[in-house]
Amino acid sequence: MKDFIEVKNLSYSYGDFSALENIFFKVAKEQIIAIIGPNGSGKTTLLKNLIGLYSPSKGEILIAGKKPFDYRKNIGYVPQRFDFDRQTPITVKEFMGLERCSKHSHSLKNIKKVLQEVGADKLEKQQLSSLSGGQFQRVMIARSLLHEKELLIFDEPATGIDMAGEHTIYDLILKINKERKTTCIIVSHELNVVNKYAEKVLCLNKSMVCYGQPEVVINEETLHKLYGVGAGLYHSH
Amino acid sequence: MGEIFQYTFMVRALIAGIFSALTLGALGAFVTTRKMSFMGDGVAHASLAGIALAILLGWAPVPVALGFSVIIALLIYFLEKKIKISADMAIAIIFTTGMALGILLLSFYQGYQPELISYLFGNILTISNIDLIAIVAVSVLVLGFLLFFYRRILFSTFDSVGAYLSGLKVWLYDIFLYIAIALAVIVSIKLVGIILVSALLVLPSAISRLFSQSFKSFILLASLSALIIVVSGLILSYYLNLPSGATIVLLGTCLFMVASLIKGLRG
Repeated sequence: MKDFIEVKNLSYSYGDFSALENIFFKVAKEQIIAIIGPNGSGKTTLLKNLIGLYSPSKGEILIAGKKPFDYRKNIGYVPQRFDFDRQTPITVKEFMGLERCSKHSHSLKNIKKVLQEVGADKLEKQQLSSLSGGQFQRVMIARSLLHEKELLIFDEPATGIDMAGEHTIYDLILKINKERKTTCIIVSHELNVVNKYAEKVLCLNKSMVCYGQPEVVINEETLHKLYGVGAGLYHSH
Repeated sequence: MGEIFQYTFMVRALIAGIFSALTLGALGAFVTTRKMSFMGDGVAHASLAGIALAILLGWAPVPVALGFSVIIALLIYFLEKKIKISADMAIAIIFTTGMALGILLLSFYQGYQPELISYLFGNILTISNIDLIAIVAVSVLVLGFLLFFYRRILFSTFDSVGAYLSGLKVWLYDIFLYIAIALAVIVSIKLVGIILVSALLVLPSAISRLFSQSFKSFILLASLSALIIVVSGLILSYYLNLPSGATIVLLGTCLFMVASLIKGLRG
């Protein structure tokens, strides 16, 4: 299968602090890959390089042969936390409609359609601040579907959601991947999620610990390198 | 009531007030959403350096202050986005530096400078036809900008990463917005003064937030609140012979307190 994303010897530093060192991996089109690693391991930094918000200190990233900045309009991004002032009165419909100013304008009908697709059609008139964690993530996912984007990136999409809701979110991502044929990158802490949904996993702890099929690369040694814990944690999953 | 319109200075003040209120009210919705409530204060206070320079050189203070405010807006943007310090810290640095520079420049001026007091506290008697033209022109420009680019400015304000991914030049809309705020604040200085002008950015938004269900209604209600506060404040200050700037701001505070009470009682 042809490589859709190519990350070549990527390093990124915040001033003198090195956040990522020599990362290299390839992702085929329509795959779901998971990124795991402890807090501060560089997961979000890697995602920000992938969406072109940060430029690599060394190495390069190519998505469909283009640099992330040039490819960014085809990327949907669901951040771990969407920081906004909860007092700001903005409805789901207004929020979804913000992208209508871009060149790839979409109709209000399309907003209804994608909200329906993620099971959030009844939220259209609600204020963003009144949504629960799960509802909010559904709206964020719906927004990323507005322009038929080819690559969807989810940074811990189930943060703050209960276990039942968590699986609904991941099932939704899987459904989008299958039906829309999008490539998905998911950052997750949940090993069971990685095993169930991801075709490949990238284990990150500033540098690459492993990359491959979850059932092959996740083992006691990998977990020890990642989290400093071993078999107990792995078997509990 | 009609006698108020017999005085040219009051007519000028009311027209200036209406335009300033609509502009600052609408801008306030974006300023407070960006958590930059002190932006108005920072620009107004820092502009003292421009006003002092103009007074010292015998130039017209408002055009100099307008030019100066654009530099201030760009400096705040540069410190916040390029040097990566927080917005409140960037504003505080520019605020105090501008004030210090203004005080230093004024120390070279010999004698009492009555015009300076009108800039500090506002004086509707000093609003000239030229000032009025500047207020109307800046207001039309800023309101036109907000209307034409509404969705883009809101996108950059509310979700800068999303706006970037959709291909918007976020930096450009940020800079335009900062300059728009700076210009609108400077032309309103004669109405309420350097010290109080930022209240017109913040108070109407604070009132509007309590009752708005969407961002559009937030902006409209903020502009309407600003209009009520400024026009009522000017009329009240005329009949009670009170300083207009302080009356406008205190009236705004009263309205905010009443609105909060109503909101609290409604639950």
